[in-house]
Amino acid sequence: MKQNENHNLNILAFGIAFLMLFFLKGITISAEAQSIDILLKGGHVIDPKNNIDEKMDIAISDGIVKQVAKDIPVKNVRRVVDVTGMYVTPGLIDMHVHAFQGNDPESYIANGWDALPPDGFTFRAGVTTVVDAGSAGWRNFRTFKKQTIDRSKTRVLAFLNIVGVGMLGRFEEQDINDMNQEMAAYMITRLYPDILVGVKSAHYWGPDFTQVDQAVKAGTIANVPVMVDLGEHHPPLPIEELFMKHLRPGDIWTHTYANAPKDREVPVDENGKVKPFIFEAQKRGIIFDVGHGGGAFHFAQAIPSIQQGFIADVISSDLHTGSMNGGMKDMTNLLSKFMAMGLSVQDVILRATWIPAKVIKRPELGNLSVGAVADVAVFSLRKGEFGYTDVRAKRLSGTQKLEAELTLREGRVVWDLNGIASQMWNAKP
Amino acid sequence: MIIDLFSGRYLRSIMLLLVLSIGISAAGQEIDILIKNGHVIDPGNNIDEQMDVAISGGKILKVAKGISSAGAKRTIDAKGMYVTPGFIDPHTHVFVGSNQGFADGFSCVSPDDITLKSGITTVVDAGTSGWRNFPLLKKNVIDRSVTRVLVFLNIAGGGMTGFPSEEDMNDMDARMTSLVIKQSPEIIVGVKLGHFRGKEWTPFERSMEACEIANVPFFLECHLPEYPLDELLKRMRPGDIFSHTYCTASDRECILDESGKLKNSVIEAKKKGVLFDVGHGGGMFHFDVAIPALKQGLVPNSFGSDLHRSSMNSGMKNMLETMSKFLNLGMSLKDVINSATWSPASAIKRADLGNLGPGAEADIAIISVRKGTFGFIDTKNTRLTGDRRLEAEMTIKAGRVVWDMNGLGAKSLAVK
Repeated sequence: MKQNENHNLNILAFGIAFLMLFFLKGITISAEAQSIDILLKGGHVIDPKNNIDEKMDIAISDGIVKQVAKDIPVKNVRRVVDVTGMYVTPGLIDMHVHAFQGNDPESYIANGWDALPPDGFTFRAGVTTVVDAGSAGWRNFRTFKKQTIDRSKTRVLAFLNIVGVGMLGRFEEQDINDMNQEMAAYMITRLYPDILVGVKSAHYWGPDFTQVDQAVKAGTIANVPVMVDLGEHHPPLPIEELFMKHLRPGDIWTHTYANAPKDREVPVDENGKVKPFIFEAQKRGIIFDVGHGGGAFHFAQAIPSIQQGFIADVISSDLHTGSMNGGMKDMTNLLSKFMAMGLSVQDVILRATWIPAKVIKRPELGNLSVGAVADVAVFSLRKGEFGYTDVRAKRLSGTQKLEAELTLREGRVVWDLNGIASQMWNAKP
Repeated sequence: MIIDLFSGRYLRSIMLLLVLSIGISAAGQEIDILIKNGHVIDPGNNIDEQMDVAISGGKILKVAKGISSAGAKRTIDAKGMYVTPGFIDPHTHVFVGSNQGFADGFSCVSPDDITLKSGITTVVDAGTSGWRNFPLLKKNVIDRSVTRVLVFLNIAGGGMTGFPSEEDMNDMDARMTSLVIKQSPEIIVGVKLGHFRGKEWTPFERSMEACEIANVPFFLECHLPEYPLDELLKRMRPGDIFSHTYCTASDRECILDESGKLKNSVIEAKKKGVLFDVGHGGGMFHFDVAIPALKQGLVPNSFGSDLHRSSMNSGMKNMLETMSKFLNLGMSLKDVINSATWSPASAIKRADLGNLGPGAEADIAIISVRKGTFGFIDTKNTRLTGDRRLEAEMTIKAGRVVWDMNGLGAKSLAVK
């Protein structure tokens, strides 16, 4: 009997223990639901918005940044990725690309072959957001959205061209009657405020600033910045007047380091001096964008500018088929080129993350604040002898080069150069 | 004065000048680009040593030791690098367009986006188009690309239009397929069968019929769940190409049996002369198949990447990366280069490609073998560690520099 009692007690104890275990298990399950999907461990975080420039871990769950701190424990983590010796930054923003690819034989960039879908160039270079620089206008933006934006894994934002048909052809871009600021502004504010971040004025060769002024009117109605590619003018239009009188603070001048002074005034004069009004313009709040492209980046402009302290606010690629295999290549190559010209890794990351995010008024992007979307880039800094070329095939030597090791888009691995987030092929499951 | 000019002394000088100039054009045909000091690997011509390569008028002028740079317009120093024929990727999907899916669709990738930076100068589109829409592929992609785009024509008339339209046996016409091949023999190099869910052998037979009429090889993809592997391989002819070799896919029997041994039918097919292509793709290359298969001697004849939108950012990345994988799995560099150049050129019966013989189109890759610790991933997302990775330093297409990673061909900038 005693034994039986004991036995019963045992059963009771066992039952209680079992229940408690179940209860605890329940707690663990709910704790696990809070767990970390990916923990990037041991990397050097550069997050300019939050003034972080040191060794930190980053925890990611449900596609967002959950925690940025030193030595986050590896408990309840689905996947720990060791990024020791690497830089961890917000996913890069490439503020100037042409992504409206299509097969319209009449067109060059809008729905044309000169543009290209972004995914082949972004993730492998640490880029998670691109901004199309006016390939489409209000008339064909819907096609662009359906055809490319909605199908791309890269986040594609856009400047809407002030010309209704966008970059259809060089002549269409001159048509003052197709620069409808009301329609452009409606499209931006009413129809696609999530995608459209500004207005583009480009490739105009009329005798004055008419196209820029139309774009600024649209930008004022819609409360968005304007990006200007001034085009070619003979004689060249005075850019001091453009910066001081036609553009607003926050508006963007692109192709900063292009060097075709007969077509367009350049920032560095014949004696290699940066014109004084350039510094004034930057102080006034004019944003200078690189827009490297296939013809718009020359060491002859960039090197003296940087030496004299005139550094473009935003480093961007002007990605299109004419630039992809030339001196531009991709954003990691481009950032490395600026490092070869003397900028620090912190400085180039700043100009490809937090500054462009602010310029396009998307402060939720380009940073790793807790709660931000987990668009993250991990770079290694390769040492050796490298060469960087401009659009004239001049080479600048460099001793370091950024390589995109790992790219996360909304917390998902979309690029992994060396399989750092993978298991060994013969690992026991 | 005029008479004086034609007097003996002047005439002699003029004759001498004439002879000299003829001599120059014959012996010293102008060299546009001279690649010096590189290690040439040209398996088609059995070259595997340090040599210089001279290019003239878009063609290979000669490959020899110690070519003088005196007459060269431009000299490129490839010291420490390998100089090889431009690579051939025999399995891609490049029929890019704005439709959903593959044929004229967004799932394809424009070749130039990926090829030139990987040393590839020729791709073969693997049946994204059929005889009906090949003209559109030609107009939209082939005629506009820097990369040379060749084609395996799908036996399905509309190419890869997706399920179920590409299953329509009534649209698998051997005669029409062969007629279109014969119309563009410089572009279309074979017939492809890829996607068919039925048990009937009609699609296979029609493909073979088209191959026989047009005298071209047959290229087999793997989405044919009802075709037993043994029977497939038995029916394939010497010179036919079997792609997606190293995978365990739900819609194709694996080349290995349960104990990890190569199946007899695979060994027999290899002996017979069936060619095995990697066809990496986004889901079709697995280390746990490739490693045992390679150990048992199944070396790939080509490194087809199966380039398309969802493979390009996966473990595949580009064909050069697949080549690096096999280099780290034990293939020699020479064998790797062979399977990326001369072997696929022979497979598609294009002896004019994939080699650096005199007169050949000057399609060249200059690559470096980077040393370090690297990881490579397959399509199950598992990793292989290796110590070498191939990088394309420079790519030349028809004598023109189309990729230059470190400015090898650029003028150095003097910076104060």
